[in-house]
Amino acid sequence: MVIGGTGFLGHHVVNLILQRYPKSRVSVADRSVDRNRRQPEDGVQYHQIDITQASALSALFGNVRPDVIIHTASPLPQVDVSPTRELYDKVNVHGTRTIIAACRTYDVKALVYCSSASVVCDHTSDVINADESRPRVRGRDQPEYYAESKVCSLPRDAPIMPGAAIDVFDYKQSQAEDLILAANAQHPYLLRTAVIRPSAIIGEGDLMIVPRLIDIYREGKVYFQLGQNKNLFDFTYVQNVAHGHLLAAEALLACSTSGVDNDGKGVDGECFFITNGAPILFWDFARAVWVQAGCAYDIRRVWVLSRFVAMILAFLSEVFFALIGKPATFNRQRVSFSCMTRYYDISKAKARLGYEPLVSLDEGIQRSVKWCLDQEKTKRA
Amino acid sequence: MGGLKEVLYYMFHPNQLRAIIQWKVWHEPVYQRDPSKEAPTLRSCFEFLNMTSRSFSAVIQELNHDMLVPVALFYLALRGLDTIEDDMTIPVSVKEPMLRDFYKNMKIDGWTFNGNGPDEKDRELLVHFDDVIAEMKKIKPHYYDIIEDITIKMGNGMADYAINAQFLAGVVTIAEYEKYCHYVAGLVGDGLTRLFVAGGHANPALLQRPELTESMGQFLQKVNIIRDVHEDFEDDRRFWPKDIWSKYVDKWEDLFDPKNRTQALHCTSDMVLNALKHADECLLYMAGIKEQSVFNFIAIPQTMAIATLDLVFQNPKIFSSHIKITKGDACQLMTQSTQNLRLVCEVFRKYSRRIAQKNDPRDPHYLEISMALGKIEQFIETLFPSQNVKQVKALHTEKVNDSTSGEFWESLMLVAAVLFFLLLVSALMLGAAWVMGARWDTVLNMGSASSVEEAAKITAKIAHGEL
Repeated sequence: MVIGGTGFLGHHVVNLILQRYPKSRVSVADRSVDRNRRQPEDGVQYHQIDITQASALSALFGNVRPDVIIHTASPLPQVDVSPTRELYDKVNVHGTRTIIAACRTYDVKALVYCSSASVVCDHTSDVINADESRPRVRGRDQPEYYAESKVCSLPRDAPIMPGAAIDVFDYKQSQAEDLILAANAQHPYLLRTAVIRPSAIIGEGDLMIVPRLIDIYREGKVYFQLGQNKNLFDFTYVQNVAHGHLLAAEALLACSTSGVDNDGKGVDGECFFITNGAPILFWDFARAVWVQAGCAYDIRRVWVLSRFVAMILAFLSEVFFALIGKPATFNRQRVSFSCMTRYYDISKAKARLGYEPLVSLDEGIQRSVKWCLDQEKTKRA
Repeated sequence: MGGLKEVLYYMFHPNQLRAIIQWKVWHEPVYQRDPSKEAPTLRSCFEFLNMTSRSFSAVIQELNHDMLVPVALFYLALRGLDTIEDDMTIPVSVKEPMLRDFYKNMKIDGWTFNGNGPDEKDRELLVHFDDVIAEMKKIKPHYYDIIEDITIKMGNGMADYAINAQFLAGVVTIAEYEKYCHYVAGLVGDGLTRLFVAGGHANPALLQRPELTESMGQFLQKVNIIRDVHEDFEDDRRFWPKDIWSKYVDKWEDLFDPKNRTQALHCTSDMVLNALKHADECLLYMAGIKEQSVFNFIAIPQTMAIATLDLVFQNPKIFSSHIKITKGDACQLMTQSTQNLRLVCEVFRKYSRRIAQKNDPRDPHYLEISMALGKIEQFIETLFPSQNVKQVKALHTEKVNDSTSGEFWESLMLVAAVLFFLLLVSALMLGAAWVMGARWDTVLNMGSASSVEEAAKITAKIAHGEL
């Protein structure tokens, strides 16, 4: 069962399951079941549900009796609605708790949770080739930090998008991670768990990264470069993320069935960063998207704003927009994000999950851009 | 004239001059050979080494005493093969068996060969090859066996190419291209690695990972092939594989036509991308070297290669002239390559970032090149992490102690300070001008009356009688 299976990542997980295990019984539980649906002949059962409603969720589990849960549901930062702290708390933390309880009641064997690679990222300092031993940026031990951290205007993985509570999001992901990992191999329950942390997901259905870059292209702003473009960044094609989830699910199912405990080389009770394994300079990625979208990009026309200058301008823009009472689209967070190094070492996923990206970054960008342009066309038509 | 040009050049490029002086003055070889203690035949061998190789001779002669002679003789044996292969005056029917049997001649006391054409530049080496053979007999047998094995393999490889008419017309597939690089460079690397391991100067694990050695050779050879494209074109040779260049032009010579510059540059990017994929394995190989003089010996050509790759990338000059990295850059690279792996990694990082900066989004290989460079940088990070878990933990704690809410006010203070100083400086300047008697009234009235008219009015006020 894929929770959040009609969402961006979730429906790719469903697609990959159907492709890889055509005989399996697949069901989807999601808040909305109208979008990203498979054809009826594919046999996917769609259930509309609010995962924070314990009784409804329990009833669904009792009805479907799933072996494997892939949990990808999470409120995504939207363009104009800033989800509140409460919403994250409710879905990411409380929702996850409800799911774990239901898993225990109905003898679910494997639970794979989709977290975020930004749990180790404080959104200002660099993350250079981080592996899973890197500590998360914790709010619980430092309540001051989070209490005072303002609701900033960046979504979790989109560089250029205003309007989301990212610190809170990651904090809640972090808390949810703890819940998931603590639920692993707790006898007498059969449940084994693992956490996947993808970084900057792109692909068909992505509403944040590539579409936002294409907007910038449409607005004719492709020649502004913030920072020196020396910062490597990990972007991940969505199908590779789905692949990572399925590999984890398979491994968990195997160890739950055999009853073997994790000897320090296993998958259960572990976190895994999943990326394309191809870190790339931030603005190189943006330019590759623009060129793919048809831009005849002339590198000689680029205006480089150093991080320092850009920060001052962004600050002035924040002051200006604060005065006229609107959220600033150009702000310091955005500058900091596009000047920040953020890439991960995925050798743990390679060694323990046998993970290798299925689709190259190159191909991933092509597909994402094509999807966005098709969306534009249908909108116009 | 040339001297003056050089003086002018270094006047405007003091860094280059500095690098040259630094190398010449401060470079102290780990080992130096002592000609006074050498047999006459060995001295003669080093003369041939100097004669036949410009770039390798110096680094070979700084090798430790154990490796010095075997590596020099290894080089001369291969150079002997090369001298036969290169000579177009020797008919193929003679050449082919000679190449295959060359290793047998290496065992015959007093064997020499004077059948080379008079124009063959390294002819003298074979005329006096008996000196090389005499020294070969003296080295440790297990070193000799390695040299012999590679000589057999390379002789056979060269003989295959000599009778292969198709090859003479030029390399077609990428597999053929890499096979060629294997014969001319990969095999040399194989022999060297075995010598180093046999002498205890390299980690024996390198023998278990032959692909690392292969990458060392491939990287050097591919970079040379890209750089020498014009020289080879003039000599009627072609090593760029047809499967690559035919994507950009129909005929090989079209690549050198200035009309096709863009296509030619795209083709170069393709070749550069193909070479870049070896870089991370080269770094890993170098991590397996345990002895300083051997490290220097292998690291110098590698850093030169990455610098040359930067030089040829997006550079149309490779199609019209023979280009080289400057002497100053070369000296700096040598200084940096004779210390440790960390510094060599820094050189790789520096040049890969320079390549990244020249990468053109309109190039069909833009993204792939960017990814290849990212891979190199990530690999360097795995060898020498710039962040470790402890540091990061410390960073987080520091952050917590720092009040984050102060950020906004900090920035506001910064802007206010900048504005305040701007105002202060303006006020000081205006004040100074006023003290010195600046006339604000005329400045302010500029809009209504020109200064000429103003002057006329002033003179008009003065009575004529006063003049």
